[in-house]
This record gives sequence, structure tokens and C-alpha cells, in this order.
Amino acid sequence: MAVQELELKPAVPSSPLLGFWNTFKKNRMAVVGLVMLVVIVFIAVFADALAPYDPKSYEGIQSGDVYNAPSAAHWFGTDDAGKDVLSSFMYGARISLIVGFFAAFISIFIGGLFGIVAGFFGGRVENFLMRFTDLMLVIPDLPLIVVIVALTRPNLLNIIFVIGLLGWTTTARIVRSQTLAVKSRKFVLRARAIGAGNWHIIANHILPLVMPILVVNAILVISLAILSESTLSFLGLGDPTAISWGQMLNFAFGRGAMSAGAWWALVVPGFGIVWVVLGLTLLGNGLEQVLNPRLEAHHLMPGRPTVQTEPVGDESASVEHKPTKRKESPLLLDVRNLSVNYVNEGVVAKAVQNVSFQLHEGELMGLVGESGCGKTTLMMALLRLLPAAGEIANGHVYYGGRDLAMLTEEEMADLRWKGISIIFQGAMNALNPVRTVGDQIREAISKHIPNYPPGTLEERVVELLELVGIAAEHKDHFPHQYSGGMRQRVMIAMALSCNPQIVIADEPTTALDVMIQAQILELLDNLRRKLGLAIIFVTHDLGVVAEMCDSVLVMYGGVTAEYADVDTIYNAPLHPYTQELLKAFPDLSKPERKLTSIPGYPPKLNELPPGCRFAPRCPQAFARCSVELPKLHELADAHFVSCHLVENGK
Amino acid sequence: MAQDYILEVRYLKKYFQAGRPGWFSRGDLFVHAVDDVDLQLKRGEVIALVGESGCGKSTLSLTLMGLEEATEGTILFEGRDITHASPKERKEIRQRIQMVFQDPYESLNPTQTIEEIVSEPLHVHGLATNPEERNDRVRRALEDSGLKPAEDYLHRFPHQLSGGQRQRVVIASALVLEPHLLLADEPVSMLDVSIRAEIINLLADLRQKRNISVIFITHDLGTVGYFADRVAVMYLGRIVEIGTMGEVLKDPQHPYTKALLSVIPVPNPRLRRKRIILQGETPNPIDLPKGCRFHPRCPVAIEACKLSDPPLQKVSDTHSAACLLLVR
Amino acid sequence: MSRYRFLLKKIAWSVFTIFFVLILNFFLFRVLPGDPARAGVKDPRMKKEAVEAIRVRFGLDKPVINCFQSLNPIELGDCAVNPFDTQFFIYLRNLTRGEFGISFHTNRPVSDVLLERLWNTILLIGAGQILSIIVGIAFGVFAAWKARTTIDYSALITGLVAWSLPTFWLGIILLFWGSNNGFPIGGKATPGTSSYPFLYQAGDVFKHMLLPTLTYTIVFMGEYMLVMRSSLLDVLAEDYILTAKAKGLSTFQILKDHALKNAMLPIVTIIAINLGFTVAGAIQIEAVFSWPGLGGAIFEAVNRRDYPVLQGAFLLIAVSVIIANLIADLTYSYLDPRVHSE
Repeated sequence: MAVQELELKPAVPSSPLLGFWNTFKKNRMAVVGLVMLVVIVFIAVFADALAPYDPKSYEGIQSGDVYNAPSAAHWFGTDDAGKDVLSSFMYGARISLIVGFFAAFISIFIGGLFGIVAGFFGGRVENFLMRFTDLMLVIPDLPLIVVIVALTRPNLLNIIFVIGLLGWTTTARIVRSQTLAVKSRKFVLRARAIGAGNWHIIANHILPLVMPILVVNAILVISLAILSESTLSFLGLGDPTAISWGQMLNFAFGRGAMSAGAWWALVVPGFGIVWVVLGLTLLGNGLEQVLNPRLEAHHLMPGRPTVQTEPVGDESASVEHKPTKRKESPLLLDVRNLSVNYVNEGVVAKAVQNVSFQLHEGELMGLVGESGCGKTTLMMALLRLLPAAGEIANGHVYYGGRDLAMLTEEEMADLRWKGISIIFQGAMNALNPVRTVGDQIREAISKHIPNYPPGTLEERVVELLELVGIAAEHKDHFPHQYSGGMRQRVMIAMALSCNPQIVIADEPTTALDVMIQAQILELLDNLRRKLGLAIIFVTHDLGVVAEMCDSVLVMYGGVTAEYADVDTIYNAPLHPYTQELLKAFPDLSKPERKLTSIPGYPPKLNELPPGCRFAPRCPQAFARCSVELPKLHELADAHFVSCHLVENGK
Repeated sequence: MAQDYILEVRYLKKYFQAGRPGWFSRGDLFVHAVDDVDLQLKRGEVIALVGESGCGKSTLSLTLMGLEEATEGTILFEGRDITHASPKERKEIRQRIQMVFQDPYESLNPTQTIEEIVSEPLHVHGLATNPEERNDRVRRALEDSGLKPAEDYLHRFPHQLSGGQRQRVVIASALVLEPHLLLADEPVSMLDVSIRAEIINLLADLRQKRNISVIFITHDLGTVGYFADRVAVMYLGRIVEIGTMGEVLKDPQHPYTKALLSVIPVPNPRLRRKRIILQGETPNPIDLPKGCRFHPRCPVAIEACKLSDPPLQKVSDTHSAACLLLVR
Repeated sequence: MSRYRFLLKKIAWSVFTIFFVLILNFFLFRVLPGDPARAGVKDPRMKKEAVEAIRVRFGLDKPVINCFQSLNPIELGDCAVNPFDTQFFIYLRNLTRGEFGISFHTNRPVSDVLLERLWNTILLIGAGQILSIIVGIAFGVFAAWKARTTIDYSALITGLVAWSLPTFWLGIILLFWGSNNGFPIGGKATPGTSSYPFLYQAGDVFKHMLLPTLTYTIVFMGEYMLVMRSSLLDVLAEDYILTAKAKGLSTFQILKDHALKNAMLPIVTIIAINLGFTVAGAIQIEAVFSWPGLGGAIFEAVNRRDYPVLQGAFLLIAVSVIIANLIADLTYSYLDPRVHSE
């Protein structure tokens, strides 16, 4: 097969560990935390060599040495017994860290064990363990620790055990939920299908994926254990023979440092605690960001302003074209040379380049392409709903005599929904889970039609729901009480609530069953006839487009591949991509035909090929294709094709 | 007779308890996920199992794999009853029956290399303990799955591969055990249209080269039309129509099959047909309708359909359907 | 129906938890060396008659519980004893009567000591919680909204630092600073002002409360802020926010009507989980500022080995936390319609 030659050659194999280190290095929080921790561990380990005095010996201490201010001999002054604060601080680090690490080790071991066993085996075991965990979680830790330590003898070992044995609850919960999440993933089912037993699965599939979270949690548990120990010592329940930071504070606070004005005896040990805990917290939070990166971008971040660059230069050589009027009905939307870039840390990815189309009243246009071809980006650009990194890099969107690309955010907000509305995939999270469906429809109406006759608002909501085939009594239900198909209907009702002229349907039937899909498509088709809507139907399903649409725009790698009326696209396609796509699509009316696939994969936006986007996969490509981006050629009958072959054929 | 079939399923039922029985809930509610399924599969045959979500096709495949325990009925694999196999027997059987899952992004462990993934079944079964032999088998499985040369892929991680390549890895890790039966649960539905055909063609190749039998589970008749020998249409836990691909596509007998076929979009605007669109949604498999379980949505239901539950009836030697209207 | 069941389940669980705490409390103080009953008998501070009264009150001559004469597991006792005539039952009966025993130190009934202190703690925790929640949420929302700006980063760092501060140490530092700047050095009121007019007293208490409340607010604000920030960041990246924006709602409307309620859900959980820490914080703050609350009672009881007070305070705190937890659970189910429909 020709497939393999075209696939990307493997890059340098990067292991997850190497990848981890690379992202870790870039996370300032994690690095600072790690450095802080290394410093204090170094001090604790080498306290013997570093400390100027021995905190256990009273040698050379005179009666006048109590609470001496910092000096050359005692950098951080002396304490209530005349001892050097700096030396005690260094040895105190040892005690605090020992308690923290050992207690946390106990907690993590118990919590991790409970969490994995409960999460993996489920059933009664889980029920029992998690109930027990809940029980222990509710009982306040510190009072219980205080009670137990007060009732037993306060020595270091007891303190470690008590803190360790009571501190595992959050770990158990976190590990359990992670185990559950991993267990439900398909590769665990696949391991079972292979014939692997429980222990094999736990060791090879569960543990490696639970470990990162366990490590992050361990770091936080250590910091909590250190805080617990210092609190205990401060309350007078520390081991009197082991001078920890908490113990130093207990002595200073209880023995008159405050009235003596000896701030150093109070500040220094506390500073030690803050240093360690902050270091651990920074490291833990940083690690979590590294292991579990999430988009720090959200929908309310200000977008990038529209830029208008004239279409010049090599790549954007395509001339501005004006698709001829295809229909008799009036023109609603005129998109000209629209380009969208994603700008991320200075790197520009060209998501959409020079796309033009026109939409008339009552027209149903299909926007077809594979994942990553820029079709959704194009639609978001029309509505100016691009994510924060996206910018309109060029072009115009004429609607109602205005250029939407140049409107302010406020002007655009007024126009959304009333002029152009959008149907998202309702099966996903497009409806707010904590508000009723009727409420969410009502909200759109009252925003855009503020003086709506108050009594009739409810009627309107019911009318809309009935229009999409949902009984009025479901109005006050929450989205989770709806099935996927019903949620999609609600999205449609919501999109129609302000009588828009144009509705964008962004893959409205993906993830729905075939029959439900057919119901939704028929509904959309009927509504368009009934209400005279213009619809842009975004999909990867060529069959659906053939069944419903009037015109079709085929996108590939961010550019228009072919744009024509539906009959031309299916029966006389000129772009090789359109032709190949049709050959790959099953057609039950011609069952004897063998399906072929297009070798290779669609280009990534950040590594677009230099010439024609499709050239690497094109069976008819020739030398010119890999160096020059073809222009969009207008053929007769408003048929647009961006391919060098068309030019040659002329 | 029995030797002709690699797999025989008789009256298979799989019920799940609906909700945990507790202080407050009744314990006698059951989800009738698979309800009386009869199915025979010849060696080297490909059968497509078609139905909407909730029809029981995935539960059926998990039950066949032994990942769910059958409630009733028998499963014969290569003439041997495996319905209630012991864990030890089950492990042995798993060398012969393998599965390909729907989502290639989810069915590979992100922390394993491709080599680890493909050789894992050998480890689990203690096969090919000699490293050279193991390498050999892993390589062969990868190359048979279209990942050539295998060396390029061995040390990569799943995230470095595309969706199609990952699905090939999943197929390779099933092939490494040299199974006789492959259960493919929606193996292409998550892939882009332009690469679906290549996975289907790969499965067709494998079946020809290795004489593997395939059960292909899908909600989309369109994708398997070219590849399967026979097709079984499922509705609410039961097979409502079964026959050769040609028979079912050209001459569907059950109203559900007819509707299902009519809504498959045909990529030709000149062929816009009248679609039979069923109203409502598949009822919940806890409270099954009385009589024929399709009658509440059936466009041609008659009074009798509310009363009797029709069994599968032969239309031809190879084609049967479960509908009262067939008795004419 | 399901909501009702959910409620019932939660309440039943809380009752069970309280019972567990009662048992834990009983055995903890019997097993470990500091049994308030027996320790009391030996305590040199006690008078003869008081010792005898303790014997009767705790039923020390009775078996601990059925089958166990004492807590020595090797020495099994009689299983056929009247279950109502055991130390455990007497312990339960005393509790239902509100009898927690007599303080070794003050010789007053523990319940009296604790009750007056409970209100002081509620006053302190209440003020501190409300302030820290308001301040934390406000900063968290602001930081999330202005994500990836300097405002956001400084809020993040402030939150992390605040989270890392040991409560008692922050208290000490503030007290140190306050005592040099005219703030009262501890307690709830200036001694000798009890006959002053009410308004004067209230102002006096307010002055005494300032620093403890400030300590409390700073420590807890950090976590609420961090949780709110990350929760809101998640919510704002959800599809339904995009839907709201596509509907033409303004930023303010989206925040108010779509983001805040959803983002508040984790906060409610955190408040519930934090109740334990809340108490820990109160113990430390009350210890530092000599605030006459439950936490202060624990601190003093530990130092004076006053076990009846310690036992009573622990019980009261644990039960309060369990009830507060129940309230948080119910609030959550009210806020999130998905909870009680599984």
C-alpha cells in the first residue's frame, strides 16, 4: 500500500518521562518549589556541619544571653535559654522534615491502598472502604490528634503515627476517583479482553496512571503533616526532647519572647515552616499543572482585534472573488476572503485562508471537511466567537449592510442570536446543567426583545418547544433529564427563539443515533421551509449534505477546495480531494463499488505543506503542486475550484 | 454439522439489575440488554451486527468475549461450550477470540510503547517466551496490520500516532495471538471519513489471508455494506432480521430494517428519497413493550402486534425476520 | 421522591456518624491512659466525696460493656449482664442528659464550661468564615476572569502563600504587631468592663475580635480563592459559556447567570471538607489570642490535663462539624439538580 510511504517518519522517540521533564523545566512554580525544598533538605541533612552551635549543650551560655538581639555571633539572636536561634532552626528543620515525610508516607500508603482497592474492585469492598473514609473525613483531625497525643505520651514516634494514621482520607478519595477513571478507560477493558488478570492490570495499567496524582497528593500531604506537627508542638504536645520549629515557637511564645520584644525568636522558626510548606505547595501545584495541563484560556477572555492585511504576497495570491448570484432570493451574508490565524506564544497557525461564500435567503449551504480543516473556526469567526488566541487576519463578513469583522464587541453581542444564531452539538455540554431548559430559552428572548409582552413570554417558550417536538411539561426540566436527541432539539428551539435570519448548525447530529439523526435533519429541513431560514450546515458527512443542501463548500487544510451547487459537487467534482472523498464515502446505492481511502492524513495547521494543502495526498499531484498554492478558479455556473489542474485543462 | 460453525449462540440472554437493591428500591427491575439471541457464524465469515445505541449489540459482544457473564443460553465456540467457562479456560479461549474497540484514542495505554502494547498479550499468556520469537511475532502482527516497517513504530508512544495508525496498533495487538474470531466494536466510527475505508479494507484483507471470522458491530449499515457477508439487525436486545448482505439491503423484510435503510444518507443529490423516519426514541430496555417490542414505533403495526411477540421466521434459507406481517 | 430519599439518606448517615464518634470517644478515653473517670479518681485535686460521686456517675464498678469487664481483651467478662447496667450505657445516658462530667480544674460541670465557650467560638468562626469566603471568592472570580494577566498571577501567588502560613504563627506575628500598636493583647473583653453600657462592651469585644478574625480570614481566604479561581476557570471554558456568549449575553450577565452558580459547587464541597480545618484554625487562634472559646478550652485542658473538658470539647466539636457537614451536603444538592437524580 502507498499509505505508509506518506505517513510521517517517526520523530526522535520521546518517552513520557522526557516529555515530563521538558514541561517541568518550563513551569516556574514547580522549579522554584523544588529549589526551596532542596535548600531546606540540604540544611537539615548537613545541620551538624552547618550549625554554628550545638543546640543541646548549654556550654558557654551566660545568664545575660537570654533573648539577645541578632549579632555577628548569633545571626538570628538567642532564645529564652540563651541558645543560638540559627542552630536550633537548622536542627529543627530535621525534626519537622522527618515527621512530615514519615507521617506522609504512612498516610499515602494507607490512602493509596484503600483508594486503589476500593476503586478497582468496587462492590461491597468499595462501599465499606469509602464509607469508612467518609466517616474519618468528617471527624475533625486536629482535635482528634490532640486528644490522642494528650492521652498518650508525646514522643516523636507517637506523633508520626498519629498524624500518619489520621491523614490518609483525602488521599484515599483522590486515588479512588482516579482509579475509577482509569478503570473505565477502554485500554483496561482491552487488557481484560486479552486475558490479563487483576494484578496484571493493576500493575501495568492502573498504577502507572494513578502514580502521578499520588505523587502530587503526597507532596501536599507532607506539607499538611508538617503543619500538623508544628501545631501540635506549639500547643505543647510536641516531643520535649526533639526541638522542632513548632517547639521553638511554643517556648518563645510561652516564655515571654513577646514581652521581651524578641521578634527573632518568633519570626525565624515560623519562617522555616512557611518556607517548607510554600516550597511543597509550589512544587505540588506546579507538578499538577505539568501533569494535567489545562487550557488557561476561557470563553470570556478578550479576543484579538481584527487585522486587515491586503491580500498580497506569494501565498495569498488568490484574487478577491465574488461568487455570482446563484439564487433569485436576496443575498443575506457575503463572506469575502476571510482568513483566521491562531497566535500562540508568537507562533502563527493559519487556520482559515481566504475563504469566500455567499448565503441567500432560504438557502441551505453545506460546509464539508474533515476534522481540523477549519470549518468550525470559520463559523466562529463569522460570529466573532473565536477563542482568545484566534484573530481574523483578513477579510470581510457583510451582513445587513455592515461588516461583522469590524464591529465592536457590544454591537456584535446585539446582533448575535437576533441576526445569526448557532446550534452547537447539544449532546455535549452546550446547555447549562444547573438551569432549566425553559429558563435558558427565555433568557435569550428577554435579552434581545426586552419589551416582549410579559404574559406571552411563557407562551413563546412553549411554542418554541412544541415547534421542535418537545411537550410543554418538559419546560422546567434540567438538561440532564433529557436524552441526547431531545437536547439537540432544545438547542434548535433556543437558536430559533429570536427569529434569526441565519442559523449555523455546527455538526448538530454527530454522536447521535442514525434514526435520531434523521429526525433532527428532517426537523431542520422543515423549519427552513416553514420559516424561510438560511442555514449553514457544518458536517463531515457527505451523505447528509447530498440529501439536504443546495450549495456545498468543501474545505481542506483551511482553504476552499471546491465550492459549487450540490449537484455539481457530487456529479461533476473537479477538485481531486472532492473526488477522493466521494470514493471513500460508502454509497449503498452502488454496493458493488469498492471503497478506497485517501492515503495519509490531513495536514496539521502548524505544519502546512508549502504548496497545495492536498498535494501530499493527491493522486494527481505534479511538481508545481508542492511549491505553489493554487488560486481559486471560477468556472462557469458559480463553480469554484482551487487546483492547478483546472487551469491546465482550460 | 457443528464443525461448520466457529461460533454458535443459542437463546442468549443477558440481564442487568437496574440499580442496586437497597432499603428503598425494588430489586426486581432488569435491563433486558440481550434477550434471546440466536446466531451462527461460519469459519471465515464476516457478519455485521447493526443497531442503534441501547439495542444490546455491545453487551452481546462483551458477553461473547466472556467480559460479561451470560444470564441464560449457551455460547459454543469451535464446538465447545464456553458460556460459563472457568477463569482458566476463559484465558485460554481469549487466545482465539480477540476484540477491536471503538475508540483508538482511548483503547491504548498512553504510558506504554507500541512494542509493549503489542507484546502484552504474549506476556499475559506466557507465549513466545524466547525474545527473538516474541520480536518476530510482534513485528509480523504490526506489518500485517499495515504498519511497515515495524521498526519505525516499536518504540513510539500512542500519542505520536494518528487515529488510523492507532487503530492499526489495536488490530495488531489482537492479531499477535493469532485469533480465529475477531469482534470489532464500531472500529471506524471515531475515524475521519477519508481513512475509514482503509481500516475496513485491512479487516477484509486479514479475513482473506488468515481466514479469521469477524463480527462487525456498527450503527451504520453504510460502512459495512461492502465487506460483510451477512447482516443481523438488532432492536431492543433481539435480532429482528438476519440474512445475507444482498438480501437485507435489496429486500428488507422487517419494518425497522426498512426504516434504518431508508435513513442512511446516499451521497447523490439526484437520489433524494422518501425517508421512513421513526418517531420517538428507542424505549428503555427495563419496561419492554408488550407484544412485538417494535410496535409502539412501527409505522405499519396492526392490532395483533400489541399482543404477540413474533419469532424469527424464514423468508429464504438464509434470510429471516421477526414480524407478524410476514405471515401472508 | 428521589430528593426526599436523598435527604433521608444523608440524615441517616449523619446520625450513624455521630454514633460512631460517641463510641470512638468512649473507647478512646477508656483505652488510652487518660480515662477521665479513672484519672479523676486518682487526681489529687479531687475531694473524697467528689471521687465517690464520679464512681457512681460513671458506673466504674460496672462492666465496660457486655462481654467485657474491663478493656483488657484477654479478660473476657460476662455477656449476660444487663446491657443497661454497663459503663457504656451509663456514658450514653449521661450524654443524653447533657452531663459531660466535672472539670478537674474548676470543679464546674463541663457542660456549663463548654456551653458559654461554644458561643464565643461560633462568633469567631462565623465572622472569620464569612469574611474569608467573601474575600476569597471575590478575589478568585477576579483572578479567573483576568486569567493569564499580572492580576491573576499575583492573586495565585498570594493565595498559595496564605495557604502555607501556619495559623498560629500568623496569629503570633499579628499579635506581636498589634500589641505594639494599641490592640488588646488577648481575651474577649477588657477585664472589669462588665458593668459598662452595652454599646461600650460590644465595641470592646469588636476590638478584641479584630486580630483573631483577621488571622482567620487571611489563612482561609487563600484556599477559597484558589479553589474559586480554578473552578471558575473550568466553568468558563465550558461549552455552555460559549452558548451564552453566542446568545449575545454580556460578560457580566454570563458571569452572573451562567458561571457563578456552577463554579460555586466546588466551593461548597471545600467548605464542607474544610470544617475540620476550620476547627483546627480556631483552636490555634484561640490559643494565641486567649480567646475564651472551645478551641481555647482544648488548649487549656491539654495543658492542665483536664480530661473531662477535653473529652466534652472533642465531642461537641465533632458533632458540630458533622451537622455542619450535613448542611453543606444539603446546600449542594439544592444548588446542583444533578445530585439527587444520580
